[in-house]
Amino acid sequence: MPERREVVIIGGGHNGLVTAFYLAKAGFKPLVLERRQQTGGAAITEEFSPGFRCSTLAHTAGPIRPDIIRDMDLERHGLKLITPEVAAVALTPDGRALTLYNDAQRSAAEIAKFSQKDANRYAEFQQSLEKVGKVIGDALRLLPPDIDNPSGGDLWGMLQTGRAIRKLGKKDMYRLLRWGPMAVADLVAEFFETELLRATIAARGIFGTFLGPWSAGSSMVLLIRAAADSHPAGSAFYAGGGMGALTQAMTSAAKQAGADIRTGAEVKEVRIKNGVANGIVLSSGDEIEARIVISNADPKRTFLKLVDPTHLTPDFVQKVKNYRAPGTVAKLNLALSALPEFTALKGSNGAMKGRIHIGPEIDYLERAFDESKYGKFSRQPYLEITIPSLSDPSLAPPGKHVMSVYMQYAPFKLKEGDWNSQRSALGDTVANTLAQYAPSLPGLVVDGQIITPKDLEETYGLTGGHIFHGELALDQFFTMRPLLDWARYRTPITNLYLCGSGTHPGDGLTGGSGANAAREIVKDLKRSG
Amino acid sequence: MAVGNGLRSKYDVIVIGGGHNGLVNAAYLARAGKKVLVLERRHVLGGAAVTEEIFPGFKFSVCSYVVSLLRPEIIRDLDLPRHGLEILPLDGTFTPMPSGDYLWRVNDHGRTHREIARHSKLDAEAYDEFGKAMQAMCRFVKPILSMVPPDPTTLNPRELMKLLFLGRRFQGMTSEDKYNQVQLMTMSAVDFLDQWFETDVLKATMSASGIIGTFLGVRSPGTAYVLLHHYMGEIDGAFRSWGFARGGTGAISNSIGDAAKEAGAEIRTKAPIAKIIVKDGRAKGVVLQTGDEIYADVISSSVDPRLTFIKLMEPGNLPDEFVEEVNRYKFRGSSGKVNMALDALPDFKCMPGPGAHLRGAISISPSVEYMERAYDDAKYGNFSRRPYIDMVIPSLTDPSVAPPGKHVLSCFVQYAPYKLKPGLNWDEQREAFGNNVIDTISEYAPNLKNIIIGKQVLTPLDLEREFGLSEGNIFQGELSLEQLFFLRPVPGWAQYRTPIKNLYMCGSATHPGGGIMGANGRLAALEILKDVKGAA
Repeated sequence: MPERREVVIIGGGHNGLVTAFYLAKAGFKPLVLERRQQTGGAAITEEFSPGFRCSTLAHTAGPIRPDIIRDMDLERHGLKLITPEVAAVALTPDGRALTLYNDAQRSAAEIAKFSQKDANRYAEFQQSLEKVGKVIGDALRLLPPDIDNPSGGDLWGMLQTGRAIRKLGKKDMYRLLRWGPMAVADLVAEFFETELLRATIAARGIFGTFLGPWSAGSSMVLLIRAAADSHPAGSAFYAGGGMGALTQAMTSAAKQAGADIRTGAEVKEVRIKNGVANGIVLSSGDEIEARIVISNADPKRTFLKLVDPTHLTPDFVQKVKNYRAPGTVAKLNLALSALPEFTALKGSNGAMKGRIHIGPEIDYLERAFDESKYGKFSRQPYLEITIPSLSDPSLAPPGKHVMSVYMQYAPFKLKEGDWNSQRSALGDTVANTLAQYAPSLPGLVVDGQIITPKDLEETYGLTGGHIFHGELALDQFFTMRPLLDWARYRTPITNLYLCGSGTHPGDGLTGGSGANAAREIVKDLKRSG
Repeated sequence: MAVGNGLRSKYDVIVIGGGHNGLVNAAYLARAGKKVLVLERRHVLGGAAVTEEIFPGFKFSVCSYVVSLLRPEIIRDLDLPRHGLEILPLDGTFTPMPSGDYLWRVNDHGRTHREIARHSKLDAEAYDEFGKAMQAMCRFVKPILSMVPPDPTTLNPRELMKLLFLGRRFQGMTSEDKYNQVQLMTMSAVDFLDQWFETDVLKATMSASGIIGTFLGVRSPGTAYVLLHHYMGEIDGAFRSWGFARGGTGAISNSIGDAAKEAGAEIRTKAPIAKIIVKDGRAKGVVLQTGDEIYADVISSSVDPRLTFIKLMEPGNLPDEFVEEVNRYKFRGSSGKVNMALDALPDFKCMPGPGAHLRGAISISPSVEYMERAYDDAKYGNFSRRPYIDMVIPSLTDPSVAPPGKHVLSCFVQYAPYKLKPGLNWDEQREAFGNNVIDTISEYAPNLKNIIIGKQVLTPLDLEREFGLSEGNIFQGELSLEQLFFLRPVPGWAQYRTPIKNLYMCGSATHPGGGIMGANGRLAALEILKDVKGAA
């Protein structure tokens, strides 16, 4: 006699946990099934080396939507948000550094050291991002309208968005229209002349995507991210104890609201009868019956692995196969015997509390991208680095530090060899790159963890190693995420829902997808009583 | 009173530039009874749609070399066949491959199906489906080519109706077509084609039309739209397919010119303009480089925005913000042209001897990676070491353009970035660029070097100098999403009007963009007539 549940959620990533919380709060006791031994998905903290703990994957938040932090009361559940005054610091090999603070005036003052003209335009750029980002932010909260027959609610939502867009005024309205499809390299060039500043802001339009700064559409990625955080280069949102502390707080909030959470429970298959999902099968063989099943897994994994294709039309399966999720990042976590010295920072450790940007020129970033197009990882990669132990000493033994490094581009599909054989070569490439900016750094590395795109898929369940559950591109956004006609968290299988980053808005570590999905699912549950 | 060379001193309309759009614009205005004067800088009409006898007996379609998009309504309205327009079919596309194999698509459906099946049975099936899908897309986009873009920022009912019209048309499509349409507007040509086909050379050759005239690669989002833009000709443009004009592309311009003259328009060549006369926010006329001043109620400029608003106008007449937008407008010429006079026909290793494969387009686009690497070179300010080349030999179809037994080879070459990297300049690179094209083709047709009688190499810089195309962009500005429809050329100014009263734009820099369509010139004429009537 199989276990019976009202709601089963496949995957305990941050979106799964947010969905679980809102469902529990609405009185539908969900059961969250997490394959790994801990919840958190890609937002976790692990001890990768004795005494050294680090955010294994995501090392900054999107940030989490304020209303979600409020609703889940995450502070009370132990979340300590840390936002260093330095958002990002960009370095050049010849020893120059550009520090961008959260405070626009201070940032402008730093930029003025490079160009007064740029310093003057910085404020205008941030304000425009704020205005445009606000409108997009509202749209991100919306349920994408049903294109075929929009409901009253859809039309209302569209009307509201239309109003908001109109409020922008002609200039920003046209900016919104014109910027979206642009290459981020063009966008930053319209405002700034300093190459280092251009590259630092442009990086936000390519992080985690299979786009270079010259790829059309990369501006939209920047805008989507600006909707959550209007800082041009993006702020540094840490959590005390690493990103794992964030999802642990979410876990405890969800539990307290009435959700059950089971780790080490891998779902093998979604049980479907006559096109209706009625439960799941665990890899142990045990079955759990459920009134509805919600998948926090990415669309490809959900429809191509967990669902028997015979329940889907060939056309739908084809479209899911065409959903683009080509991973482009690798992650390195380093245990350091001491704090590294970056030539450009001349001992000003404060700047290292922010995100450290390696990628001094637009062309540098583009060349890094070029190699990945032909199945090679970048020999001169773009790096986003954090040293969380500076803000939270508890992560490393006294005097020692952990360094978290995102390396881009590392294409999931290599033209020659496989990732297991390339793993150490990747590590060397990153070490050599770092040495150009901090010569002593390689000598400080006592231990390390190299996570390739293949690991991202196999260990963390991210299909194609794509950290955002699929490209954020014009054709995979809003009413098209993951697929046109299926952007409303429902699926062709009755009672099977999606709630992960592969759904709208899919804008990173914000909880937006989980919260939006929960809202729709609760509607359906109440409707069907 | 009259000024030099028998011109009156006052006209209803002066059209700046005698390219195909300027001439279409003039023809429609003249037919509406306006006194129209067309002023062309060069000695010959046609702008980039021109035929010139560069070597004795060899007539080159110097720039634009094939036609497909010329709007049927224009051919009808202006009765162009009667004015000497004759379009000869250009049959198929032949893509030689380094492997010694080739891909040869022709208009004969059955043969193309068998040919593609030779590379992939799946693709042969998909090819038919693809054709049907693209037709549906074209049906959606076609009317847009003949409509004045709406202003999405006003609440003016007329504009809202246009948006509603588009919304309705979109609603009217099957969800399958919607899916394709959305993808076409946003994806890269290769990502889009990857969904249909597996044969690399097929995808490479098809994706090529997605990059023409842009500074984008086949993997850059937005190129799928340009693919459609060019595919339209292949569906049911006036001639069901791409073709040549008998006598070269210039024959198209000449037929339009005749139609304009017949309707009463005056046309002057070798009449370069120095300035547009603007007084208190109104265009009053033009000053020729000779110093002669000619006045008109309306000035219609078919040259690009940079020439119109920066070069031909005294500063201070335009709002700063508008000038900023004009300076921001992206040209970025990315292509060059190499025309050759040949003693004999090129002989392709993969298909030796003469034959029908030489009568269509010959495309050097062996693989997607080849196309993408060509783009990579350009991104960093070099011309492609191995460029994408689209060749035609019009003399096979139209013997009138070359002496008996001899031939004309016309090569469109991409990428050739207008801005070369520091230290290089086009005047020094021209020869190397031309030779590189010949070397590239010789890898497939080794006899080429021995049969060249004369060659004409046009770099983006030459296109700018000789034909007044800023930065050598053949479409008067990139066909990228942020420069299309109501954003072309300047957001808020996509309806052929300008901040200067009585000054209009009618060139390729306006909606619906480049290619020998004539739609721009026609739509602008209709808007001008509206305003004039309104004023009268």
